[in-house]
Amino acid sequence: MAEPIYTVASDSETTGEDRSAPIFPEIAVGIDIGTSQCSIAFWNGSQVELLKNTRNQKIMRSYVTFKDDTPSGGVINELSHEYDMLSGAAIFNMKRLIGRVDTDPVVHASKSLPFLVQTLDIGVRPFVAALVNNVWRSTTPEEVLAIFLVELKMMAEHQLKRPIRNVVLTIPVSFSRFQLTRVERACAMAGLQVRLMPEPTAVALLYAQQQQQQAVHENMGSGSEKIALIFNMGAGYCDVAVSATGGGVSQIKALAGSPIGGEDLLQNTMKYLLPNVESIFSHRGIDEIRRMGLLRVATQDAIHKLSFQSSVQIDVNLGNGSKLCKVLSREEFEMVNSEVFEKCKNLVNQCLHDARVGIDDLSDVVVVGGCSNIPKIRSLLMQKSKKKALYEGMNPLEAAVSGAALEGAVASGIADPFGSLDLLSIQATPLAIGIRADGNSFIPIIPKNTTMPARKELVFTTVKDNQSEALIVVYEGEETRAEENHLLGYFKIIGIPPAPKGLPEITICMDIDSSNMLRVLAGARLPGAHHPATPFMEVKMPTVDDGHGWCAEALHGKYGAAMDLVSLQKKS
Amino acid sequence: MSKAKLRSSLLAVLRCNTAHSTAINFPNVSNSALSSQLPSNCISLSQLPSTAECFRLWRSSRCECLNNLRFPSRVFSSRSAEASDLKLRCWNCGAAAPTSVVFLVCDSCRSIQPLDQSVDYFQIFGLEKKYEIGDVNLESQYKDWQKKLHPDLVHSKSDREREYAAEQSARVIDAYRTLSKPLSRAIYILKLEGLDVNEEDTISEPELLNEIMEIREAVEDASGSQELNQIQSQMQEKLNHWSNTFAKALRNRNFDDAISSIQRMTYYERVKEEITKKL
Ligand SMILES: [Zn+2]
Repeated sequence: MAEPIYTVASDSETTGEDRSAPIFPEIAVGIDIGTSQCSIAFWNGSQVELLKNTRNQKIMRSYVTFKDDTPSGGVINELSHEYDMLSGAAIFNMKRLIGRVDTDPVVHASKSLPFLVQTLDIGVRPFVAALVNNVWRSTTPEEVLAIFLVELKMMAEHQLKRPIRNVVLTIPVSFSRFQLTRVERACAMAGLQVRLMPEPTAVALLYAQQQQQQAVHENMGSGSEKIALIFNMGAGYCDVAVSATGGGVSQIKALAGSPIGGEDLLQNTMKYLLPNVESIFSHRGIDEIRRMGLLRVATQDAIHKLSFQSSVQIDVNLGNGSKLCKVLSREEFEMVNSEVFEKCKNLVNQCLHDARVGIDDLSDVVVVGGCSNIPKIRSLLMQKSKKKALYEGMNPLEAAVSGAALEGAVASGIADPFGSLDLLSIQATPLAIGIRADGNSFIPIIPKNTTMPARKELVFTTVKDNQSEALIVVYEGEETRAEENHLLGYFKIIGIPPAPKGLPEITICMDIDSSNMLRVLAGARLPGAHHPATPFMEVKMPTVDDGHGWCAEALHGKYGAAMDLVSLQKKS
Repeated sequence: MSKAKLRSSLLAVLRCNTAHSTAINFPNVSNSALSSQLPSNCISLSQLPSTAECFRLWRSSRCECLNNLRFPSRVFSSRSAEASDLKLRCWNCGAAAPTSVVFLVCDSCRSIQPLDQSVDYFQIFGLEKKYEIGDVNLESQYKDWQKKLHPDLVHSKSDREREYAAEQSARVIDAYRTLSKPLSRAIYILKLEGLDVNEEDTISEPELLNEIMEIREAVEDASGSQELNQIQSQMQEKLNHWSNTFAKALRNRNFDDAISSIQRMTYYERVKEEITKKL
């Protein structure tokens, strides 16, 4: 295999600004890189088609092995055995690590994986390394992601016989804008311009297309409005969306997501089967890694079987004379993972609440993703929605990637003589965006689930007499305490005209444009003044690059409350 | 929950959690806005073109940044003589604007037109400027507009048109959201009349305060979803009642009553929201 060629975008521009006309006819491509599996689809002129690799697989494993000197991913590479992936030489689950700092519990949960995830717990990126010839060789989540993106790109270029530059990539709902910049960086490394789309919204678009086709088929004109609950759970993330679909338009009413998934089910079950699993594994010797791998494979296999049978016999030889022989029942599996299932239920409740949609309004419940076969997940959704059946119209493993390819086709303006692309996906913000004010509170300016493009503003004021500067710290999230949200960036407003506290009006305006770029505009003036005191500031967010865990702490330590703000007035 | 605690939490809810806590102790606050019928007398910040507005203008370089701040209430000026004198034409192909429908997209060349702030939300949906909109299907009209205006659908067009798309699309979203709910529609229609209702910091009558407190207590004490649902439907009835009162007040141009109806609707909506959270 040839060494992949990387093109690296400049630091500030990880998003696509380049809109030069394509030389080759545009082809719409969607990519879904899951925590454990990935796939690529394109619009063939009349429908979405998934590409297959040389081993005839449409769904490929998301991992990269660092054997010898050339890294190679699961798209092209074939493992001689499943255990090879667990020898420490393969890096996987990178979607759970990208853009996270080493204080994040999700990063800590990844420390029991066979490769090395090391943390210093100060809010910087974790150290990730693969075991190559008995040496831990470092890599980054971005690099690993870029490697399979390059492989997918090469595969598609080979089969479609043209260069691929623009793709739609699906992402979890719970990703912060900082994480998005890391994904964009990986794409830029692979020479791709991306448009990012939350996974359940891609599924919602596919649903809209299916409803539209059905309406045309049944001669019902554009059909009636349908509210769908979409539940997408893979190995790393659980995402929920409520969409209102009509006339081929999918309007996202609400989104909810959390980094819980099949990986958590697997780890909980492993801990249950072998309670001292963590201490056994703590030294990371080569034998230990191998044994851990054996347990992981056996557990994975057992969980899979429990989707179709009520109990499963597990027999693993863990070496050193220790053997694990156990019958695991479905009830035990559900009991061990009750917390995960509870979280799933809460996400569904929250999403329905945020969408202001009642159970009776739901036309369909769509369950997709790698965990969609788990009986507990299915029964949970049927119970919650009071439905006897879940939507059956789509392949649960192909739905997100198909929706992404559709979005690519719709947005690229590809010729569409049959009107099959007469579709539109109207997105909403998955997380609130706001600033730190009123002490240590997070004050959202663009609330969660705001339809995009969006532009909102709020007015704040000073906390001290003659306060001349204000520190604007921008966060994204849902928590009331500022520092519990994702830090996006910070800047100072200077030259606030001298006045008693509470008088100056400091306006913070946030704008998300059609390419999902977030800009923050801020300015100060005294009430009644027609002109701002000083030039306004316009800042593209996020501005944080790395180590943002301790940035906020450092800011707070240095400035305390000296440059604080309080909210002045609610405005829409 | 003790009475005192309840009262304090109620106060917190009724008051916006912002810096200035006007409200409760100053019964006249809400009247100051309506006593001055002339918009020029009650210019609040919201009637100046907002920062967002200027930001937009600035970005599309149709205004020298914030200098335009001195033109108040341009946003809400009615579409009067000046507008009809001006023959609107498509910026792209020059085709004349249709007279029957609002000109957001050119019929001849499908180009999206620049934002015209004098077009109000009702016009976007082809409605009379009336509070009662009947059972008109806003949702499907909204989606039809988005199919013509959404920025995702004009990715291959010029920067200029993409900017128009972003603005028009965002405005249609606002229009849809505002008109689809009775409360926001009521507030908007008063805004068009030049009255700025701040739903956050107005409560004046002790009776209403007491009533709301009793309701909240009932919500607090409700033992199950059945009881909550019952309160919920009571709230809906009250909302319907005050919605009708608002409509009548507006027809008679009795703005005092209109504003007090809005205040009541705001509180009943809040109770409803709280119940939904508990359900
Ligand atoms: Zn035209």
